[in-house]
Amino acid sequence: MPDQEQKTSISRTRAPRKPKKSQIPYALVITVLVIGFGFYLSGFSLKLPIYLAFGLLFGYTLQRSRFCFTAAFRDPFITGSTTVTRAVLVAISLASVGFFAIKLNSVLNGSETNLSMAGVNPIGIPLILGAILFGIGMVIAGGCASGTLMRVGEGFTMQIVSLFFFVIGSLWGAHDMGTIWSTLNESAPKIFLPNILGWFGAIVVQLLIIVLLYIAAIKWQQKKMGSE
Amino acid sequence: MAEFNLDCLGEACPIPLMKCEKKIAELSVGDVLIVAIDHSCAMKNVPDWARTQGYNVEIDEVDDGEWEVIIEKTK
Repeated sequence: MPDQEQKTSISRTRAPRKPKKSQIPYALVITVLVIGFGFYLSGFSLKLPIYLAFGLLFGYTLQRSRFCFTAAFRDPFITGSTTVTRAVLVAISLASVGFFAIKLNSVLNGSETNLSMAGVNPIGIPLILGAILFGIGMVIAGGCASGTLMRVGEGFTMQIVSLFFFVIGSLWGAHDMGTIWSTLNESAPKIFLPNILGWFGAIVVQLLIIVLLYIAAIKWQQKKMGSE
Repeated sequence: MAEFNLDCLGEACPIPLMKCEKKIAELSVGDVLIVAIDHSCAMKNVPDWARTQGYNVEIDEVDDGEWEVIIEKTK
């Protein structure tokens, strides 16, 4: 195969690299410190170590999988590639089923009636403005919230600047939320699908929309790049 | 067969990808482009893009968190 020949020819031109320093000792020290920190947190509340564990697992998954929400929304326009977009759609569908299970369970048990509307936010001007600003910002900064945090952890110094201003922006937004932005949300609709379509109607419609988006993503890539 | 270097160190994606797209258009068939990147996201989308274009791609981790993506323009 000509492919094979070319591959070996390009690798031959590479000079041998200096051996890399093993990072395993650092990893062991940090693992011990993190476990210690978990025990320290459990002194305040038993929930905190669980948050810490989930945070670490999320971070590990993000870093290893190179999962990037920014790329999911940006790459279709830059290169036409929708592989990351489809990964995000799969993630959203899994999350939908999970949230559905948690919320339905809470309603069936009648234990926490507030939980079903938790995280349901009004669709208003602040959301639209915020979405546009966030969209522009994340493409320039090269990462969304999780992506920026993950790359700061990797040591990408430019995104420390992103993180710094991200924190400032969030604080500023949170500061004005109660005074300025919430007044714009007073007449904005709060839509929770199970209230309109019923619980099973909601999950079916949600998953159907995701499947349609998935098909659209495949078609988009075929049109833009001529391949899957 | 010529070899070209593209320095994208310190640049967040999508900049490395867009620089590659521009640079590779200037190359002739058979030339090799070596892109230096240190952004983990570009480490994924640059090779992905090059492979779907049908180019030969190799990734070399030259240092911790620093990669060279070697793209051979095959067509």
